[in-house]
Amino acid sequence: MDLRLPSKVLEHILSFVDSNEDRNSVSLVCKSWFETERRTRKRVIVRNCYAVTPAAVARRFPEMKSLTLKGKPHFADYNLVPDGWGGYVWPWIEAMAAKCPSLEELRLKRMVVTDECLEKIAASFKDFKVLVLTSCEGFSTDGLAAIAVACRNLRELELRECIVEDIGGDWLSYFPETLTSLVSLDFSCLDSEVKLSDLERLLSRSPNLKSLKLNRAVSLDALGSLLRLAPQLVELGTGSFSDKLDQEAVAKLSQAFSELKELKSLSGLWDVLPEYIPLLYSVCPGLTSLNLSYATVQMSDLVELITRCSNLQKLWVMDLIEDKGLEVVASSCKELRELRVFPSGAGLDETNVAMTEQGLVYVSEACPNLESVLYFCVQFTNTAMVTIARNRPNLKCFRLCVMEPFAPDHKTQKPLDEGFKAIVERCKDLQRLSVSGLLTDKAFEYIGTHGKKLRMLSIAFAGDSDLMLHHLLSGCESLNKLEIRDCPFGDTALLENAAKLKTMRSLWMSSCCVSFGACKLLSQKMPKLNVEVIDEHPLETRPDSSPVERIYIYRTLAGPRLDMPEFVWTIHKNPEIGVSHLAIK
Amino acid sequence: MEICNSYSSSSVDSTKHSASESSVNLSLSLTFPSTSPQRATKQDWPPIKPRLRDTLKVRRRLLQRDYDTCLFVKVYMEGVPIGRKLDLSTFSGYESLLESLSQMFNTSIICGNHRDRKHHVLTYQDTDGDWMMVGDIPWEMFLETVRRLKITKPEGC
Repeated sequence: MDLRLPSKVLEHILSFVDSNEDRNSVSLVCKSWFETERRTRKRVIVRNCYAVTPAAVARRFPEMKSLTLKGKPHFADYNLVPDGWGGYVWPWIEAMAAKCPSLEELRLKRMVVTDECLEKIAASFKDFKVLVLTSCEGFSTDGLAAIAVACRNLRELELRECIVEDIGGDWLSYFPETLTSLVSLDFSCLDSEVKLSDLERLLSRSPNLKSLKLNRAVSLDALGSLLRLAPQLVELGTGSFSDKLDQEAVAKLSQAFSELKELKSLSGLWDVLPEYIPLLYSVCPGLTSLNLSYATVQMSDLVELITRCSNLQKLWVMDLIEDKGLEVVASSCKELRELRVFPSGAGLDETNVAMTEQGLVYVSEACPNLESVLYFCVQFTNTAMVTIARNRPNLKCFRLCVMEPFAPDHKTQKPLDEGFKAIVERCKDLQRLSVSGLLTDKAFEYIGTHGKKLRMLSIAFAGDSDLMLHHLLSGCESLNKLEIRDCPFGDTALLENAAKLKTMRSLWMSSCCVSFGACKLLSQKMPKLNVEVIDEHPLETRPDSSPVERIYIYRTLAGPRLDMPEFVWTIHKNPEIGVSHLAIK
Repeated sequence: MEICNSYSSSSVDSTKHSASESSVNLSLSLTFPSTSPQRATKQDWPPIKPRLRDTLKVRRRLLQRDYDTCLFVKVYMEGVPIGRKLDLSTFSGYESLLESLSQMFNTSIICGNHRDRKHHVLTYQDTDGDWMMVGDIPWEMFLETVRRLKITKPEGC
């Protein structure tokens, strides 16, 4: 009996399989399922651009419509990866232009994107619709103009926290009059002013625009007229919120805000003056997401806003909110799922710290759906963490940054081991954890023992010895990404747990105790890994026992990369070990 | 293999944790210069993204201004043992400062530029400890470096 499904039937079935995780499983069943799956996959996600070659991806998924790529390691966000390390998107665009010209969507994170890349995208993909660049760099506003002028069916253009060479605001004027398909526009990271009239005309002909994030240069006055042209907005990022407006202008702006019946997300609000906060009251009840990271207002003003946001699910705010303000969040925002509290600088040098661990305890007590936390704080206590864990065993992401390195529990002066123990023990679904403060081996023993679902772990300024790394690598079964800085982890644990590294996406260690010799040894032992030593001092004359500045280890099918700068070493560069596999460019 | 031998054996020996621990600890003191907070440079700690870090820098500067809104400095007149205290932040510039000082000390005080035998001259001590003529630098810069004021006798300079 032939049990094979006709491929047409299989194709039809697979059209209902959306998640890539499921599709990856499907492709492992047998050859014909692999073939059918690969020919029908539309959305491809490559979470490490060096794990696989562009050509291989293009070959495997010819019908690709959407490509997501991630480049630099996460710690690049905090200046820990030197400039020029890599993450170039050009080879990918070249490959896709040749093999997958029907590509419509490109989403890049932490990659180097040049104007040439943007021009090539504009020229190669006739039906290009979506460009989302997160934490990217290397391009100028000229590249944006190239996209604007050529992509006739552009739906989304989002620049999230990119570093752009800002030549001027002209790029916006390159959107043709025929472009009416815009759904999302985010240029909040640009500095220069765009012409208001260009923006107004664009909004007038974009009836489907749902998300608009302006840059700081867009004045409060301008905001009014823009909102009147786009009352259907679901997401709004304002520009600067601090110009002096006369009464009439304020009234008009207030009216414009009250017309935003669909608004769910609000951000921007740079330099917001307290007297303008009431302008936002009308949209508050509808908001599910509020980003106040740039709103440097005091607690009392923040509270006025937050008490009105009863449907808030996501809140990003500065520590100016203080414990009192977080108490208000706890009582007003029962639907809260994600809380991020950023440092305002007020707590770092001065002693008048009004935001402590207590603020987070309040929120954990009162918000039943809280599952994701990022909390910058000057100090913390074990008791608080134990309470938080008891209150919220449903936490999926817990990132605590005690800003004083090696800070102990400020009440007992003990390490924060017991606190983190409670977190990993009780929060059985915890997938992401960042630890800080004074921690001993014990903390990592606990994490290794209990953190079975942990996928991403970030550690800084912690530890006694190699045992800590050993606990983590041998205990955390689901560990996918591990990033460590300034910890005394070294060779032994790394070499002992080398096999574990094949099951992870990547490991980053900087300012630790890993020796050059261990890196060489690891490279030889594990040919399927790229062991990159990133060190700005020359390595040729280094003794094997000397520690290296940074290592970045990741599994790869692509072998050594061809675009390594001088300060990145892999074993393939070492003439002692073997023949260099590098192509000379 | 060459590399294996030159490498310290404790790293390959997987069972003796205590031995490797001590070798790691030894190497810690030799090669790990400081596990101290100073290693955290202002550029990479705390772990916040560049844009937020820039906003923080500006904010810090503004905050300092706020906290320094009381910019009290001591003022002495040569020959008068008891000094006064003055909040410089309440003045908009050199003119209003001179006017107020003249009233306070009941004499006419001028900046260094128009020295003559009749008027007192205003000098200040800066952050380097040097005594300088008031009036040479922009007001805002003056506020940042002034530590105390002295009104000199007419021929004193």
